[in-house]
Amino acid sequence: MTTYIVKRLGQSALVILLTISTVFVLIRMAPGDPATAFAAPNATTEDLAQIRTQLGLDGSILSQYVTFLGQLFTGDLGTSYSFRAPAFEVVLDRVPYTITLALAAVMLTAVIALPLGIWMARRADTGRETGANIVTIAAQSMPEFWSGIMLLTVFSVLLPVLPSSGFTTWSGLVLPAITVALLQVALISRLVRREMVSNLTSPYLTVARAHGIGERRLVWGYALSNSAIPVLTALGTRFAAMLNGVVVVEVVFNWPGVGSLVVRALETRDYPLIQATVLVTAALAILVQLLIDLLYPLLDPRVRLGKATAR
Amino acid sequence: MTTTTETETPKRPSRVTPAQLRDAGVTRRSRTARVKIRVGAVLTALVVLPVALADLLPLPDSTEQDLASRRLPPLTDGHLFGTDQLGRDLLARVLDGGQVSILIGVLAVLVSGLIGLAAGAAAGYFGGWVDAVVSRLLEAQMSLPLLMMLLLVVALFGPSVPVITAVIAVAQWPEVARLTRSMVLVEREKPYVDAARTLGLPHRGVLFRHLVPNVVRQTSLVVLLLLAQAVLLESALSYLGAGPERPFATWGRLISDGQDYVTTSWWLVTLPGLVIVLLVVGVNLLGDGLRDAVKGTKKGATA
Repeated sequence: MTTYIVKRLGQSALVILLTISTVFVLIRMAPGDPATAFAAPNATTEDLAQIRTQLGLDGSILSQYVTFLGQLFTGDLGTSYSFRAPAFEVVLDRVPYTITLALAAVMLTAVIALPLGIWMARRADTGRETGANIVTIAAQSMPEFWSGIMLLTVFSVLLPVLPSSGFTTWSGLVLPAITVALLQVALISRLVRREMVSNLTSPYLTVARAHGIGERRLVWGYALSNSAIPVLTALGTRFAAMLNGVVVVEVVFNWPGVGSLVVRALETRDYPLIQATVLVTAALAILVQLLIDLLYPLLDPRVRLGKATAR
Repeated sequence: MTTTTETETPKRPSRVTPAQLRDAGVTRRSRTARVKIRVGAVLTALVVLPVALADLLPLPDSTEQDLASRRLPPLTDGHLFGTDQLGRDLLARVLDGGQVSILIGVLAVLVSGLIGLAAGAAAGYFGGWVDAVVSRLLEAQMSLPLLMMLLLVVALFGPSVPVITAVIAVAQWPEVARLTRSMVLVEREKPYVDAARTLGLPHRGVLFRHLVPNVVRQTSLVVLLLLAQAVLLESALSYLGAGPERPFATWGRLISDGQDYVTTSWWLVTLPGLVIVLLVVGVNLLGDGLRDAVKGTKKGATA
């Protein structure tokens, strides 16, 4: 167990280092000079050169990289050009918002997809199930920025019941969470359906039914609790993916999370901020995934860590 | 009903009625697949055909501005989809943008399909360090903040069609590679592979002449589902301003441009979005139905 955790942490650290190094090199190869964005509009060439020295952008990429790594290990990710504050702190300020949105979206997905999947399993291969299946596929096929704008137009412009953007009250969470959840319902409900069908047709359930246990308890007690583990894992994995994947929805709803921050950082060529955002989101997603993998054997004693093939 | 079947077919008495046969799970499943394929094909054609024939249709030029007829609602003055904020015909712009969006989607999927097939097949067949390298790459890419990286690369190399195609292809190859690898792992243990080796064929020949043709059918079905994702990904990039450069009116950009007018001119956002949804639903249903149909005939022979 301990060796497994150490090994996984080592791998995670390696992936994060690889990611951040790739990003470091990529953004320095990019055209566009952050010094011009940083300087006054009428700055001279000398001013620009001076700013570049200040920002530590005057050396070769390699020497910049060495400095960057040195700072990284002391927890210093540089100062954001546009916020003029430590980049790490700017990102950390935004992280709770992204986590809130991702958490709300995952819970909403579960609340919709679980009953729907069970419903579909009990009517497997009927016309109505196909209909429900097609509806979830349609929900999955909507570009999230479009469904977001549509929801906004209907629920905060035509019927002004919900706030349109930002995070001022909790009701501001409703529309973004729905928009994200729409994409996930198809995947999760299909998984629930598959697990439930395989449990409902398994011999143990026939035995339980022969013992006279009620249909309701068979479905919600027996089959559901045995389907729970893969479904929970899938939900956790979706949550991890959302931590770095809700960029578009955050932009549409002007949500003050990490996703809208990274778009802004890219537009202003804010090197330290881009690096810090990628580092933090990648690390978060990887750690959440690791946590899920560690919880797995607690939920299902048949699973041994490090023995099973990687998922 | 039952009595007639009993009397008319005396040589093989069966208590299974045609009605029961019709309602049985297996037949229903294949019928569901058929419905999905048909609906999917119709929806896909509904979008792809007009887009492909855009130049032949009697439509105004998509870049022709007419400031006197700005933001006309749909169905006025022969503008089926209305006009945009500069008086351009929205339908013409949607069809024009569709050519770019679909072209990028198809190219990206072809490239990612080829990379994924080659890498997955090599990893599954050769094992050892080839497998280790490919598998680590797959894992690493899964944990990357993908959309951020894509935005970064587009910002770096400029938003041209080849760059965006390459970026989407890179985002999608793991899916194909993982599937191909798992199928080749099963396939390479079969006797015909040994036979081909015994006949003196080199590994490369066995792999590409004998193994790959046996897995390519399954892979091509996944590729269809990836096409739907590619179209969505391209539209998301366009929406965020990282789509193909200005003269192209891609679907994502049409929506992002129309967003400012959504309260007064609903069609500028709604109609291009509906076209995307129609195409993506169609392709998804088609891919889903074909996958179910193949599964039904093979009876789980390919896990």
